[in-house]
Amino acid sequence: MNKVGIVSYGSYIPKYRISVEEIAHIWGEDATELKNQLQVPKKSVLGLDEDVVTMAVESARNAVNLWDGDPKLIGAIYVGSESHPYAVKPTATIVSEALPTGKEIMAADLEFACKAGTAGMQMCFGLVKSDMINYGLAIGSDDSQAKPSDPLEYTAAAGSAAILIGREGIIAELEGTYSVTSDTPDFWRREGATYPSHGQRFTGKPAYFQHSIDATKGMMNQLQTNPSDYDYVVFHQPNTKFPLSVAKMLGFTKEQVELSLVCRHIGNTYSASSMLGLNRILEKASSGERILMTSYGSGAGSDSFSFMVTDKIEELQAYPFDIEYYIKRTIDINYGLYTRYKGLLK
Amino acid sequence: MEPPKIWREKRQRYLALGISCKKCGKRSFPLSEYCPYCGTNDVEEYRLAETGKILYFTNVSMASNEMAFNAPYCLGIIELNDGIKVTGQIIDCDYKDLKNGMEVKMVFRILARDGHEGLIKYGFKFTSI
Ligand SMILES: [Zn+2]
Repeated sequence: MNKVGIVSYGSYIPKYRISVEEIAHIWGEDATELKNQLQVPKKSVLGLDEDVVTMAVESARNAVNLWDGDPKLIGAIYVGSESHPYAVKPTATIVSEALPTGKEIMAADLEFACKAGTAGMQMCFGLVKSDMINYGLAIGSDDSQAKPSDPLEYTAAAGSAAILIGREGIIAELEGTYSVTSDTPDFWRREGATYPSHGQRFTGKPAYFQHSIDATKGMMNQLQTNPSDYDYVVFHQPNTKFPLSVAKMLGFTKEQVELSLVCRHIGNTYSASSMLGLNRILEKASSGERILMTSYGSGAGSDSFSFMVTDKIEELQAYPFDIEYYIKRTIDINYGLYTRYKGLLK
Repeated sequence: MEPPKIWREKRQRYLALGISCKKCGKRSFPLSEYCPYCGTNDVEEYRLAETGKILYFTNVSMASNEMAFNAPYCLGIIELNDGIKVTGQIIDCDYKDLKNGMEVKMVFRILARDGHEGLIKYGFKFTSI
């Protein structure tokens, strides 16, 4: 069988941050209580001249620069997001031209709430494995929206992650992937609506937890692996508490999940969330280590992946614009500026 | 914002393309059919260096309609590491924190938006490293 895996990865997080205190102050909420609950002290916010496209391009360029290959060899680009700037006019076309790839390329924008990026990864794995393309680029990029004063306002953040998939120069080989899907109305946004709605507590147990658990168990069952066979595990991160809880329910330790928790620094980046967690692990992992990743998208579904890190990983770990770089470069803004940056003033 | 103009200029704006002259060897920006130094049309496309340093900068508060969304903004002349000088916005920074000689890198950003229903124009800007 053909080997297939990750050959490079790139991340992007905007520079602006707003703290839980700053938001809680506006709505008269208890910031300390919220921080204990969510374990997200601040979240990333887009600059005035940024959107899902610009973030996708930055993460994709980081992936291509780190790889140091010819972007013309990329045969497919899929961009997952629930906040594409155009309702009609694909983000993927702009990313393609900004790399630039060749014109002979498959491309599409995907939507599946927070798991549209990992759906793109699966498409690329399939296309590479079946020899239809040499390399495929899957991107998760989101500038998530939250209604002012909604609980989601404390965590809805912005960021992008790009994963380059191929069969040559693999740094993390795909061992298997497994998905679950069900019609679950936990979180939605109707066409033309500015903000998403959600089923409050319903978003937890039957939605996030059930799907993440089913996909992860299915993945491990398929490969006959156990939690202890993995060095790192990544889950979708709507806040920091959920991935820690689901890890515990499945029998993973806090240590296995901790490195992936980018949410702790920047909040929930939706389609980019689990992929940024994976990128952070790829930045630190060593040859022979095993990674399990499970995304979650409302609506609902989960994609689980098992990866084995190869000895090529070290060649792709010394890169100046890694997640640490983006986490550290920050400009704190107050709620007034936040309303301007998020376009809340109509 | 006319679609044909956006479409024609996209590569130059996305990729920061200039020309390299096959006759006199000089490189220049922007993209042109002729070398501004020797006048030959024997030129090839050249992608500018992605990093450089600030030579001069100013603050722009009176912006055109399409760019008002992001005003006030800093505008600078950047000397790229390949020696070419270009004008561009310097973003994600305060005017008072900018200094001549500061190192910058090229980033992909929104240059202009045509209202809420029109096209979005993307291209390169600069940010401190
Ligand atoms: Zn010349």
